[in-house]
Amino acid sequence: MIPTHRAQINRITADARIDTSRAINFFFNGKRYQGYLGDTLASALLANGVNVVGRSFKYSRPRGIVSHGAEEPNAIVQINTGKLTIPNLKATQVELYEGLKANSVNGWPNVEFDLMSIFGWFRRMMPPGFYYKTFMSPAKFWMVYERFIRKAAGLGRSPMQFDPDSYDKLNQHTDILVVGAGPSGMLAAREAARTGARVIIVDEQNEFGGSLLASTQTIDGIKASSWVKNLMAELTKNKNVLMLPRSTAFGFYDHNFVAVIERRTDHLGDSASGLCRERIHRVRAKQVILATGALERPLVFAHNDIPGVMLASSVSNYLIRYGVAPGNRLLLFTTNDNAYQTAIDWYQSGREVVAIVDSRRNLSGAMYEAARKLGIEVKSGHAVIEAEGGKRVCSARVASLSRQGNKIDGLVEKLDCDLIACSGGWSPTIHLSSHTGSKPVWNESISGFVSGSSREDLLLVGACNGEYSLTGCLANGAEIGCRAAESIGYQISAIETPRFQVDELEELPQQTIFLVPHDKGISRAPSSFVDMQLDVTADSIEIAVREGFESIEHIKRYTALGFGTDQGKLSNVNGIGILAQMLGKSISEIGTTVFRPAYTPTTFGAIAGRDVGALFDPERLTAIHRWHEENGAKFEDVGQWKRPWFYPRASESMEEAVHRECIAVRNGVGILDASTLGKIDIKGPDAAEFLSRVYTNSFLTLARGKCRYGVMLKEDGMIFDDGVCACLGPNHYLMFTTTGGAAQVLAWLELWRQTEWPELRVYCTSVTDHWGTVTLSGPDSRRVLEAVCAGIDLDNDSFPFMEWRDAIIAGVDARIFRISFTGELSFEINMPAHHARHIWEALMDSGEPYDITPYGTETMHVLRAEKGFMIVGQDTDGSMTPYDMGLGWVVNKSKEFSFLGKRSLDRSHMLRKDRKQFIGLKTIEGSKMLPEGGQLIFDPEEQIPMSMQGHVTSSYYSPSFGHPIALGVIKGGFSRMGQIVYCPQPNGEIISAEIVNSVFYDGDGARQNV
Amino acid sequence: MMVMGRVKMCNDIKTESPLAYFHDTASRNSSVSTDKNASLGADSRVVAREQYICSHLNLRGDAQDPVFVEGISKILGMSLPIKPGHYHCVIGENSLMKQSLYWLGPDEWLLISRQLAEGLCTNLRETLDAHISITDVSGGQTLVNLSGDNEAIQIVLKKSSVYDFGVWESASESGGRCAQTTFGKTSALVSNKSNGSYDLLVRRSFADYFALWLLDAGREFGISILGPHPE
Repeated sequence: MIPTHRAQINRITADARIDTSRAINFFFNGKRYQGYLGDTLASALLANGVNVVGRSFKYSRPRGIVSHGAEEPNAIVQINTGKLTIPNLKATQVELYEGLKANSVNGWPNVEFDLMSIFGWFRRMMPPGFYYKTFMSPAKFWMVYERFIRKAAGLGRSPMQFDPDSYDKLNQHTDILVVGAGPSGMLAAREAARTGARVIIVDEQNEFGGSLLASTQTIDGIKASSWVKNLMAELTKNKNVLMLPRSTAFGFYDHNFVAVIERRTDHLGDSASGLCRERIHRVRAKQVILATGALERPLVFAHNDIPGVMLASSVSNYLIRYGVAPGNRLLLFTTNDNAYQTAIDWYQSGREVVAIVDSRRNLSGAMYEAARKLGIEVKSGHAVIEAEGGKRVCSARVASLSRQGNKIDGLVEKLDCDLIACSGGWSPTIHLSSHTGSKPVWNESISGFVSGSSREDLLLVGACNGEYSLTGCLANGAEIGCRAAESIGYQISAIETPRFQVDELEELPQQTIFLVPHDKGISRAPSSFVDMQLDVTADSIEIAVREGFESIEHIKRYTALGFGTDQGKLSNVNGIGILAQMLGKSISEIGTTVFRPAYTPTTFGAIAGRDVGALFDPERLTAIHRWHEENGAKFEDVGQWKRPWFYPRASESMEEAVHRECIAVRNGVGILDASTLGKIDIKGPDAAEFLSRVYTNSFLTLARGKCRYGVMLKEDGMIFDDGVCACLGPNHYLMFTTTGGAAQVLAWLELWRQTEWPELRVYCTSVTDHWGTVTLSGPDSRRVLEAVCAGIDLDNDSFPFMEWRDAIIAGVDARIFRISFTGELSFEINMPAHHARHIWEALMDSGEPYDITPYGTETMHVLRAEKGFMIVGQDTDGSMTPYDMGLGWVVNKSKEFSFLGKRSLDRSHMLRKDRKQFIGLKTIEGSKMLPEGGQLIFDPEEQIPMSMQGHVTSSYYSPSFGHPIALGVIKGGFSRMGQIVYCPQPNGEIISAEIVNSVFYDGDGARQNV
Repeated sequence: MMVMGRVKMCNDIKTESPLAYFHDTASRNSSVSTDKNASLGADSRVVAREQYICSHLNLRGDAQDPVFVEGISKILGMSLPIKPGHYHCVIGENSLMKQSLYWLGPDEWLLISRQLAEGLCTNLRETLDAHISITDVSGGQTLVNLSGDNEAIQIVLKKSSVYDFGVWESASESGGRCAQTTFGKTSALVSNKSNGSYDLLVRRSFADYFALWLLDAGREFGISILGPHPE
């Protein structure tokens, strides 16, 4: 057993939101530590005095925890190992559980001893724009560079095995979605829910309360934490309210559609295996209330990245919420009153406050007085210009600052401390409103970007709207909650808007400082870090400006500012401010980069949800599918359908099975499941006219009981679908479509029926699923059918080719069509799908004396190719007219109304003699197979690039002929019968073939007409 | 005993409903029970029961045409639901559904009936002297009743469909709400029943996918797929 590494030296016993009676063991970079239930990985590491949690991206500088939430740039960890590993989590967001294993993603070979930092030249090697300048040429070397950079920078490792976890999605509908369960969000939710509206409230943290979880304030005389508890109880009781903790709204999309990811099991560790790990809530809300709060802005000064420099609010959070004091001697550096609370909290925890360094002069006001009253030294008009230390801050260089805050105007003194809490003000968390396309607007009075107008129905409330006082947030939340409900039709009761008694000190205006000056100039001073995750320094922004960049979007890409997994949550505003300062422009002129989803990284597993494995794509099965499975069929995907491909016996290969099946159909009888064919029932007084307009031929004269082959064209005159259509009765037709074309054909018919020809009285209904279809084909098929068929004569005189009859087969009502796709005598039997297997099995029984052979799509393809029947989509490609395919006989140009595509057929290009035309191909060297897709040329001696004259569309070995046959299209093919064409192969071989008629088998149709 | 249109009764006729191969399957939440002998449905908070094979007729007609609208109500003894997203039904003896008529679109309805399809079709066609279309689609779809713990059913529906069933008013014995919507990556006609359960109408060729999806979506609660109640 690995001994616990260190005691929790920074854990203070306080009234914190952790359970000190439940110790939790965890591992960080291989060392064993202990924390408590309720800790995050970050709070537990700080409790254990772990200073260095990672190494920086470019310069490999030691880095410590800066913040306490999604904004964390440094504490990026890889959790677990093997197939359960998760890269790039922020330690500030990882809840502690027993046995948790975490490793820094940065740092090679490890964070304490870092090989890279030895190389002093490394920083010089990677100036801004480094990637563009160094790695972009030669382009093919990027793969080599990338490996090196990833390893050195440490971007986390993806799991290489199958993810054993399960993820799902819920579609949620609500009147009001509240994002953020801080004081304003919770109140908004309560007030909205009181009107009867359906409310969903989500928060990314493990518990609701937001800033109140780390507050020492009282509301209406009770402690903030108790106030939260009471409100929680009220929300829980209301069944209109769905509360989702550990749930991040990561994307705000059109029409008030918000994606929320709920982390359901990560905090439970291994004990939760088998449950859904993460669930995406696809929330559609009538109103969205954003109560996402604000992020504190760090101050940019020299060596501000040394472990021990933290956000002021984060210091308070660790202290009050987690009972962790991340140091001993605090120096607070602030530009505003708000951060004074951190010094007061620290003082009250019994630890030393070295001083408050405030950039503002002539301080006064309640916060200032409160600090002074505690005896805390306040250095007004001063700044921390540099932090000193190696793996931990040991002192700060402090100097007097000019009134504008842009120059040092006094001597530098050194103050010993091990923790610098800093606050440069706050930035409203407006990411989600920005997702909707709303442009952030700079607000001078709060020194931050606020949301501009949005096209979505969203309301901002509390700190994310620039309201930073607790009193204001509570009142704002209550008001917006009511207003949101009212705007979607809920009645607000006459109850007065609640008022709150909050013990809150008034705050005076802040000063805005984006870059703290140093006694040396910006380029000679030690680095001041703007973006810690990607090591973007203030001087690299200066270099970019010197090189001529002005747009913030260009600066971002040139320096990588805000490109990390934290998306610049702490760095963007400072970067923009520094750029504005350097260009001598206002921040409004510079503008901001755009925030895009996801707010925080989201797992691929969650995005995939349940659409994995067998559920990835629906498999459509016929009613006879189980029989095929039980009888060893191999299946082929045709669209979403599974169709039997061939039925191998014992040790048969595919070729052998197909050969056997082909011969059986030609000489005996075969049986095919054709249920997947599209079937559309068409009824109405104008049905025949309608069909005559969508098919190239006429259906006005088709009598009941008869079938006709038809071809459908798009407006461009190109073949779109084909099939047989039968007249079932007066004004009643059944249209067969190809398997893959069924849905498009129905949509096509509806398009014309509804939008162009509404005067035609006709209805179309899909009956594809209703009818099972079984095809008997071969010279023995009549005998097989006769044995089980009652009610009709099957002989050729009473039931000729291209007609249909009602019949009773094996006791079931069925409909028989004499149509053939093989060229043999065929009966296509339709029956309600409930009885499809019954009839199939009856036919298998009655066919036994004839060795009836089930055949699949492969055999069907071979047989139809022998017969020269095209397959739409295989032999055609959307550029073939019926004339090109030798189907001129099916085009009736004398129809009164015309038909779809007719006009296009007369365009000059369509009449060219050298259009590609459908022909058969017979290889000269009898045993050679032409590959499908092979290009055909006339002159094998031609220089490359050769002029391509056509291509092979279908190619099979024909068991009926004992040699390969192929179909193809070739320029002017109809007038080239008997000519030789060539098909060059990738290996240099050239296959020569003779152009022949596309009908190889039974040209006069004698065999299907018997 | 089977009721089916266009079919002569015959004892050895095999009739397979779309979900026939899934009857008596279950997926259980492992934390609920590991007892393989536990009876089906006993530890399932959700039960999906395929209903009897019935006659399913697709009706097309003009909702403005009194010949069609009045004719339907005279022949079927129930009025045509004209309001979008509603269905009407008649409960017969033993509180079994006798027939239901669902609104599918402005000119399209679905009739599910325990009468023989052939007779119904003929009766409707001969009586309604209007431009109508009556199409037997009985073989192409099946009705599945989803019952059990309401919270669990709601979650299963939320996993499966983008539709907001939460805004539906409760159904009565004479009808309720219905919607054709997505179900996983296929579609379903979903309707609510007076007993709090839901009926799902799914297409035959997608029935296997539907069943796999349902077993997966209900796994956290324990779910069983059963055949019709013996009559």
